[in-house]
Amino acid sequence: MISFIVLLAILGLGLAGWFTARARAQLLYTGRGSLAATPGYHGWHMALWVIVPAIAVWALWALASPYLVQSAVTGLPIASQLPELEIERHAILAEAWALADNPDAASFHPLAAQLAEPVREAKMRFGLIGLALVCIVAFAGGAYGFTRIRAGFPARTRVERAVMLLLLLASLIAILTTFGIIASLVFETGVFFSHVSPIDFLTGLHWSPGTAVGTDIGDNFGAIPLFWGTIYIGAIIAMIVAIPLGLMSAIYLTQYASATMRRWLKPILEILAGVPTVVYGYFAALTVAPLIRDFAAAMGKENPSTESALAAGLVMGVMIIPFVSSMADDSIAAVPKAMGDGSLAMGATQSETIKRVLVPAALPGIVAGVMLAISRAIGETMIVVMAAGAAANLSLDPFDSMTTVTYQIVQLLTGDQEFDSPKTLSAFALGLVLFIVTLILNLVALRVVKRFREAYE
Amino acid sequence: MNSPWQSPEMTRRVAKRNAAEKRFRMIGQAAIGLSLLFLALLLVIMVNNGLGGIDWAFLTGSDSTDASLAGVWGAVKGSLLTMGVTLALSFPMGVLAAVYLEEFAPRTWWIDWVEVSINNLAAVPSIIFGLLGLAVFINTLHLPRSSSLVGGMTLALMTMPVIVISGRNAIKAVPPSIRDAALAVGASPVQTVFHHVLPLALPGILTGTIIGMARALGETAPLLMIGMRAFVATPPSGFTDPASVLPMQIFLWSDEIDKGFVQNTSAAIIVLLIFLLAMNGLAIYLRNKFETRW
Repeated sequence: MISFIVLLAILGLGLAGWFTARARAQLLYTGRGSLAATPGYHGWHMALWVIVPAIAVWALWALASPYLVQSAVTGLPIASQLPELEIERHAILAEAWALADNPDAASFHPLAAQLAEPVREAKMRFGLIGLALVCIVAFAGGAYGFTRIRAGFPARTRVERAVMLLLLLASLIAILTTFGIIASLVFETGVFFSHVSPIDFLTGLHWSPGTAVGTDIGDNFGAIPLFWGTIYIGAIIAMIVAIPLGLMSAIYLTQYASATMRRWLKPILEILAGVPTVVYGYFAALTVAPLIRDFAAAMGKENPSTESALAAGLVMGVMIIPFVSSMADDSIAAVPKAMGDGSLAMGATQSETIKRVLVPAALPGIVAGVMLAISRAIGETMIVVMAAGAAANLSLDPFDSMTTVTYQIVQLLTGDQEFDSPKTLSAFALGLVLFIVTLILNLVALRVVKRFREAYE
Repeated sequence: MNSPWQSPEMTRRVAKRNAAEKRFRMIGQAAIGLSLLFLALLLVIMVNNGLGGIDWAFLTGSDSTDASLAGVWGAVKGSLLTMGVTLALSFPMGVLAAVYLEEFAPRTWWIDWVEVSINNLAAVPSIIFGLLGLAVFINTLHLPRSSSLVGGMTLALMTMPVIVISGRNAIKAVPPSIRDAALAVGASPVQTVFHHVLPLALPGILTGTIIGMARALGETAPLLMIGMRAFVATPPSGFTDPASVLPMQIFLWSDEIDKGFVQNTSAAIIVLLIFLLAMNGLAIYLRNKFETRW
């Protein structure tokens, strides 16, 4: 709440600065060319000097103040009753902190209730000090900005320099995100590998993290069944559905359908890609899975489970169709028209031209599209969470329940939240494997697409 | 009559090839028909199961353990708050990054890295963003779990690459003559971009933004990671309150054993699909209305 007020105060001061500086610059105006920058830029220059340092100071203060409050409270005479043990001490202080924010919060320790009032007071005091500090900095910045207002001052170039800095920072967010993903995954995976050897993890055949304790802990963290389930569902079953249907849809839409039909069918097909995955998951669990179970029973399989690799894979394949189709569409459209025309002129039928000329010529692009589709399918979470099951089976039977990497990540990280147990940490190791595999697929596919485009340009 | 082109053998071959042609065409029709049939089946089953469950009480109620009392308003409000955070963060950042990369970035090695990482982030599985959110926002920065603030921040990281990519394409489509004209009458490069290029590229950027937001609205997996699967019986009143979102509510209800929740789940799916359809419709409308062919 207080940070919101401070932010508003800073922005208000900035606005005031903008008007003051603009008015001041307007007074300096004596005729055409008398000012190096328009009054508005002088306003922006001053507003930046008010806002940027003040926000920086407030951010620093917000980081530092919890420690200041902590040391102020532990310096009080009442704090001498706090237990010596670090963990208990911490728990009571955290409770007092919660009570200070919200008097109705549950309290378990009498000392916490006594400490709540001092904590609240200290927070208030340091909050007010911070506010004063921010105001001083804002006024100091504003005063400096104000002294800069002269006829010859290049306010615009200064403001534009600040804008460029902002643009640069915005584009660095992407690289920061990538770095953040890699750093957090690698760090937690490193901790995990200090409990379980990477060789056990990557080559073990048995996965049951729930029972993993003691010295042979590595035996329960063998991720091969997970990798197999992921590949079987995402890269085999789903692709058996998606590649023929997607490719043939693309061929029909680009080569046979009339322009009107194409204009209508293509967006409708793309709706399939826009349906949220949780809806597919529900559909798989509600409709497809029971059908497949009945089918398996009719085929003579004993007690087929509702959760089957086939149900998840089929629905995932349908989800991927528009993806494969639009990639194939682009690749076929990139083949020069002369190649197809040449084949038709030689007397080949349309389908012969497609099969012998267009598809082979577009093959690199289609393969890249399939790679991107696989990368999307193996990273897909909700369909497998709702339809594939939890049992880590190493099996070839599509009617068996199978589990995937994404399913296990969800399973391991929801529920209990001991953060440093090998069980929860293993989710990050699985995440790292998933990230690396999809990264390689994406990079190779993007490179193939780029080279393929260049070949025909 | 003696021409080799009319020999019985040749006629047979031509007939065979024509039959193959017809077959191929039919396979194509079957493929597209099958895909559309699946979509129709999905929609019909959802409407059939859920339409009866949509009434005023369902649209204004919040989650409950009793299927007949449970409603979606809490989840819708959570979704709105989350999307608000996502939009407020990813739109300015995405547009500014797109402007920088398209108009000002020097051709150096680290800009290549930025481009590679943006293209790759757009294809990273969403659950990985959830792991990032869990490790950074919750375990390192100690922001409140299962709040729309953290959910929105996580989804913003996911949506930003989409906005950057569509923004760059929209900016690229603005013809250089516009820039040359502005520069020729004395505008600075920054003025050229912000006064002339960006307003012309805005419809394209907005279309991309709406599509990215629609994707974020349907996303469940990353939010599972940051703990947004809590049972939330009262609508969240602020960004730091525990919240649920529509897809998460669908997921939670789909797990319930009580038969009444089947109707609720399908009804919530209809509500979500209507939101998505409206957003995509708006994107298509914007594209058609403001699309300029230079």
